[in-house]
Amino acid sequence: MRLFPLVRICFRSSRAHPLRTFLLIFGIALGVAGVIAIDIAKTSVSKSFELSTAALTARSSHQITGSGFSLPQSLFTQLRTGPGIAASAPVIIQQVRVAELEDRTLSLMGVDPFSEGRFRDIRVSSGDAADNFSSIMTEADGVLLPRSLALEYGLAAESPLTLVFGERRIRTRIAGLTDDRGTAAGLGGVLFTDIAVAQEMLGMGNRISRIDLKLDGDREIGAVRALLGPGQVLVETDRQNRAIRGLSRSFEASLTAFSILVLFMGIFLIYNTVSFSVSRRRSLNGTIRALGATRKEIFRAVEAEVLVYALAGSCLGVVLGIAMGKGAVQAVCATVSDMYYTLTVSQTHITAGTLIKGVATGLGAALVSSVVPALNAANTRPVTLMQRSASESGLVRYIPVLAGAGVLAIGAAMMIFMSDAAGIPLVFAGVFMVFIGGSLVAPALILWLTRILSAGLALPDRLGVPGRYVVMAGMALRNIRRSLSRTSVLIASLMVVVSVYIGIDTMTASLRLSIIKWVGGHIGGDIHLESTDELNRSLDKDLPERILALDGVRDVSAYNIHRAFSSVSGEVHIFSYIRDLSEKEWTWTTPEAGAGDEAAMNALLEQGWIFVSEIFARANNIVPERDARVVMETRNGPEQFRIAGVFRDFFMGGGRVVVSRDTMAAYWGHEDITAIQVFVDARDDAARAVQINRLMPQVGALFPDRGMVRIRSGLEIKQSILAVFDNTFLITSALQVLTAIVALTGIINSVMALILERSRELGILRACGAVPGQVRQLVLWECGVSGFMAGLLALPLGGFLSWILVDVVNFRSFGWTYEMQISGATLVQALAFSGLAALVAGIVPALRAGRVKVARALRTE
Amino acid sequence: MDMDTGKGRYDMDILISDLNKTYDNRDRVIFQGLDARFGTGQVSVILGKSGKGKSSLLNLIAGIDLPDAGHITIGNARVSDMDDTRRTLFRRRHIGFVFQSFNLIPVLTVMENIALVAQIDGKDNTFCRERTLLLLKAVGLEERARDFPDRLSGGEQQRVALARALVNDPDIILADEPTGNLDSRTGADILELLTTQARNLGKTLVMVTHSDDAAAYADHTFTVKDKQLVPGRVR
Repeated sequence: MRLFPLVRICFRSSRAHPLRTFLLIFGIALGVAGVIAIDIAKTSVSKSFELSTAALTARSSHQITGSGFSLPQSLFTQLRTGPGIAASAPVIIQQVRVAELEDRTLSLMGVDPFSEGRFRDIRVSSGDAADNFSSIMTEADGVLLPRSLALEYGLAAESPLTLVFGERRIRTRIAGLTDDRGTAAGLGGVLFTDIAVAQEMLGMGNRISRIDLKLDGDREIGAVRALLGPGQVLVETDRQNRAIRGLSRSFEASLTAFSILVLFMGIFLIYNTVSFSVSRRRSLNGTIRALGATRKEIFRAVEAEVLVYALAGSCLGVVLGIAMGKGAVQAVCATVSDMYYTLTVSQTHITAGTLIKGVATGLGAALVSSVVPALNAANTRPVTLMQRSASESGLVRYIPVLAGAGVLAIGAAMMIFMSDAAGIPLVFAGVFMVFIGGSLVAPALILWLTRILSAGLALPDRLGVPGRYVVMAGMALRNIRRSLSRTSVLIASLMVVVSVYIGIDTMTASLRLSIIKWVGGHIGGDIHLESTDELNRSLDKDLPERILALDGVRDVSAYNIHRAFSSVSGEVHIFSYIRDLSEKEWTWTTPEAGAGDEAAMNALLEQGWIFVSEIFARANNIVPERDARVVMETRNGPEQFRIAGVFRDFFMGGGRVVVSRDTMAAYWGHEDITAIQVFVDARDDAARAVQINRLMPQVGALFPDRGMVRIRSGLEIKQSILAVFDNTFLITSALQVLTAIVALTGIINSVMALILERSRELGILRACGAVPGQVRQLVLWECGVSGFMAGLLALPLGGFLSWILVDVVNFRSFGWTYEMQISGATLVQALAFSGLAALVAGIVPALRAGRVKVARALRTE
Repeated sequence: MDMDTGKGRYDMDILISDLNKTYDNRDRVIFQGLDARFGTGQVSVILGKSGKGKSSLLNLIAGIDLPDAGHITIGNARVSDMDDTRRTLFRRRHIGFVFQSFNLIPVLTVMENIALVAQIDGKDNTFCRERTLLLLKAVGLEERARDFPDRLSGGEQQRVALARALVNDPDIILADEPTGNLDSRTGADILELLTTQARNLGKTLVMVTHSDDAAAYADHTFTVKDKQLVPGRVR
């Protein structure tokens, strides 16, 4: 009851300023939407991972796999007949595209119908009636399609289906439909077939991909281990799933960072809006205080008002967040599939937890950010004691304390960044502290900058610039200084946004440059050949010589790439070159290689040493200075290799390893060629393009069955690799835009409130003879100068953030190292963006200021 | 004796003793050793030039501001010794303040403005409504009950402010230039209302003014001179 009239005053005041109230609700909504969208994307990716892996690994406790992901089927028979492991099931697994499903990627899984019962609950219907899985699978030679996909694409049992493995197409039919509703949602991305059918389709003879096991106790585990031959590995299913899941955690962590940033801007916005709203009501609060309202009552009234708007904003944010989240799920799943692990299921999962988290974040952020303004409101002096300058002189007194606290916060963050033990969550907390620290130091720097700029105004005066322009600029600077408690918040929030722009832009540009350099070194060839037969990637061994014999070919590099199993990092790609013409950027080389020149490194490679990528080194916890050795699964069993060098690499997954041809043959049994790079003879780029166009048909003519070989120019491959990376940053860019919208909303809000607060002063200006255009000019000057100062302050902060993102976040998240390259163009753009954004935000307030009613404004207390 | 609530209105004299007040880091001395007494049921008018501290004295009596030294006692309550919350509650329950520039809440209607102080004091709705209607009638604004302040003339606004000051039936009415923004005719109406309240209902009215017309309503006049309150005419 007591609080009600005060709360009513707050709401009526807000109703009198609908735009500002809308901006407050919108700001909270955007912050909440960002958090919810990211959380939905993360939860969905996590769920998709879970469903995708659960469907494939099911209830198995262990798996037997081969060092090259292949096993003889006889091992399964031995398991059953020897130690009598009944809970065992042979599995063939292969990613496949399906033509009738618009080339969607699914997992083709060959299983033994009689062994499956212990691992997967597969409910099947051959037509309308439910049927038995094993009877369908044994009687039919087709595949089982998930029911949801059949419905989506209008397919039914007996419909033909085309499976695409690279360029190879296999015609089959739908033998039945699997039920993928409810708890069986994970089966939505799997095509089941009989293991014998899969072996025939994939040309695997009597080999299988793995054996799923349910082992009970050490005795059974020991019995299985005793049966395994060289190159056969028993792994715990959970551990392997965790390794796969860990791959994309870093990517998800970077998304979290952005949602924190959006929220940070949201807090700024709420703080801005509430504090302006409170300052606007200063006289009103003063009257209420004089009439007998206590500080506590005013504080509670302001908090109650914010809480109601926060609730409205949070609800709106939930709706916005769900819509944005649905879009983000597709984008994030596509990126994860491109870079880490093929997700066959990508459904949007919205949990109550996500929504509660979003709403709680909105309410919490709003309450926290409104504490200071609410305290200010509560501490308003009764109207009869008011002095306009009171609040400003208060802030000026605290500037050294704020700046000191800011420096301390940045210093503490720096200690986090320098500590190797600090994990990613702590690093992000550090980033947050840098923003807070920078914002606390901002008022001192703004005061200093306004003084310098004011002093600089003497110069145009000396140059004969008309006084009216200098006067307006001078007034603008003084106004910024005088309203420091408001302008510093505005400038600091814009500074943070611009610094984020600089940081992200520098990070992506530096990474892109490094990737271009890396792709150029890795794929230096002008023409690239590879087999498109995903079941047999081998090319003719005499091809390099035949290509070299073609007129205009300067050199040929041939190599093979094979997948190998690593019990630590999962799937690893092993390369062995007949002739390695790629250029590697070493981040470490062994002292045994002397200066690390090419000849010395190659000599070590021939002696059985290996080269590993940064990502492999990181995944296997290799610190070369301590121990440059690694144990890898080979067909002969676990083998230890000495590492000659660690090279910079941007392929994701378990990493890359380069070995000699002999090592590849001895340990993984591959002597083939799977890819060839052709280097043409040309003086310049124009001649090179002509040569490439001339030679590509000639190289193609060397293949009798051209459908199974893909011939592409080096440029095309480079572009496709860059496209994957660019896609990865699409979400980053979208979040950047979201942050900018939140910030711009805040700026418009702040400038509008500043102008409203100064109606009387503007009225006096008009009464003294200033025309509306001059008043507008003054407002725009203030906005422009504020934006320019925010841009200036953002330059060092942005540079610092760039360093954090490149050298700390990226390295600790992805294991990548690359050189930070800050471009002058980025800095100029940032400065221009900052000034322009503030100017644009000032247009509406300036127009309003120009229309101020002189008599009315002069009456304003 | 209840220090928070003072006592009955039969003894709500305002006693000021040895009061010192300075501003601007004690550079500007406003009052030095000021002593005064404003009697219950009397109309006291404080005269003096601008900037001499007339309004400051009202702020000190209302507990809005604190003296550097000396005491202000209302009834048996020593206002100057109370903490901020107790002073605020004392002001809310025992003092009605009428401002020169009305200070009505623009987002509240006339009726809501008047009821405000009673509501924040926790009075029940029936009381608030009845009391407000009574005061609206007393100030002749029943027809404007649902209007917002910006629709009222200056005189009407000041009448609302007066009604608001009376809503909690205060023992003390402090009026700071209540006619300063009004024409002489409207000003006379307001003064009539104020003094009637004080004399008929036994309230202590202390009014700050420049106006000789306003001073004519006083039982006692005081002038701020040489940092003291000098007694003047007694009716």
